Amino acid sequence: MSQSFSLYIPTNSGMHRLHPLTKLALVFLCLVLGLFLPGVWLSYATFALIIIPSALWGGVLPRLLSALFKTALPIALSLFLIQGLFWPGGTPILHLGPLSFKEEGLYFSIQRTGRFIMIIGSFLLLTFTTRPDELMLALNRHGIPNSITYIILSTMQIIPRFQAKANTILDAQRSRGLETEGNVLVRIRALLPLIQPLLLGSIVDIDERAIALEVRAFGRKGPRTSLLTLHDTPAQRIARWLMLLAAVAVIAWGIYLWLAPRFIA
Amino acid sequence: MERLKRDFSTISLVMIPVAIAINIVIGTIVYALKLPLYLDSIGTVFAGAVAGPWVGALTGALTNIIWGLSGINPGYTPYWPVAAIIGLLAGIFSGIGWFKSWWKAIIAGLITGLVAAFVSGPITTYIAGGVTGSGTDVVVAVFRNAGWGLLPSTWAQGAISDPFDKAASFLIVWVVIRALPLRFLDRFSRAEDVR
Repeated sequence: MSQSFSLYIPTNSGMHRLHPLTKLALVFLCLVLGLFLPGVWLSYATFALIIIPSALWGGVLPRLLSALFKTALPIALSLFLIQGLFWPGGTPILHLGPLSFKEEGLYFSIQRTGRFIMIIGSFLLLTFTTRPDELMLALNRHGIPNSITYIILSTMQIIPRFQAKANTILDAQRSRGLETEGNVLVRIRALLPLIQPLLLGSIVDIDERAIALEVRAFGRKGPRTSLLTLHDTPAQRIARWLMLLAAVAVIAWGIYLWLAPRFIA
Repeated sequence: MERLKRDFSTISLVMIPVAIAINIVIGTIVYALKLPLYLDSIGTVFAGAVAGPWVGALTGALTNIIWGLSGINPGYTPYWPVAAIIGLLAGIFSGIGWFKSWWKAIIAGLITGLVAAFVSGPITTYIAGGVTGSGTDVVVAVFRNAGWGLLPSTWAQGAISDPFDKAASFLIVWVVIRALPLRFLDRFSRAEDVR
């Protein structure tokens, strides 16, 4: 894929060479760990023990940490300020003039930040080390319909073209004197001349693309041939099953911990 | 089943990627213009309006999954059910003829916005502790300070920002549908609902 809407980093690490479904299973396990592990610190521990070594193996650790930082920082700041300072009826532990940080709010913020970085970190790990077309081929072989994988891959190819089109429209409108900076009213007024040509132009394109596909037997039933080949090993197949089992166990444990105090007590 | 097959015709399958790209590219432009809106579901609403609730729901869900897993906005992926419901509702409102007049489209957008806020509240609370990292988090602070619970404060924030945004998106889609040639519109399975 020449130009695609993805931050995939093409290198040849062992992590990159894994079967896409193995990486998907790993990311699923990480998501489950992020979503269901109890307590405050466990998600940080799993982040340090699974995501960081995997990213290091894939040679994407600096990129992963910087992308994660950019996404998580505004959330974490907002969390600590809002839930830390305004936790109703919390125990004050740090006074700042008329306000104070509450112990309960800070614990909550630490816990949710951990959950957030675990979820975002696992998404980024998949993105950086997995070619989208290989992932789609693997999913296709395991029962995801052709139409869905076609939609996803063709979206990723269309977006860079659309962005180029949007920039052309922006330049054209600016060169005829359209104000795109200033107060909110000016910027709202700029919106319609920018998005209307993009919307109509791209929607009318659909017809031609549909005809092009229809005459090439797009809707035909039966298997397709792919130019890509996927490498799988028995060890990876076993690893995938083990990761799925582990994920199910963690979900069961999380649900048990959540239900136990409600029914047993 | 027959209806579903007609909704997912080749033209729909070609339209969905374009609709998703519209969501993402216009969402990015609006973000760059620093407007108090998202407008990142115009394509989803269009898809629902012209090809029915299921095509709308798929377009919405895939938008957030692709946007997130592209690595550009990883925080969007968990919100795929919200986007799916926006597309589903756009299809349902189109089915009862609410895309035929501009004011009905606006009301449909306001309702969709309230439902979207309702569904996104628990997701925001569970994975991000009720904040979004944007300016509207001030609303959460105000309600938390007044002693409100986590989820109600998050709902209050969504209910303030979402309906206005979805009403604008629905109105833009109404304008777009009026501007499209009928010959082209008729290629879609639910064209008779919006004409």
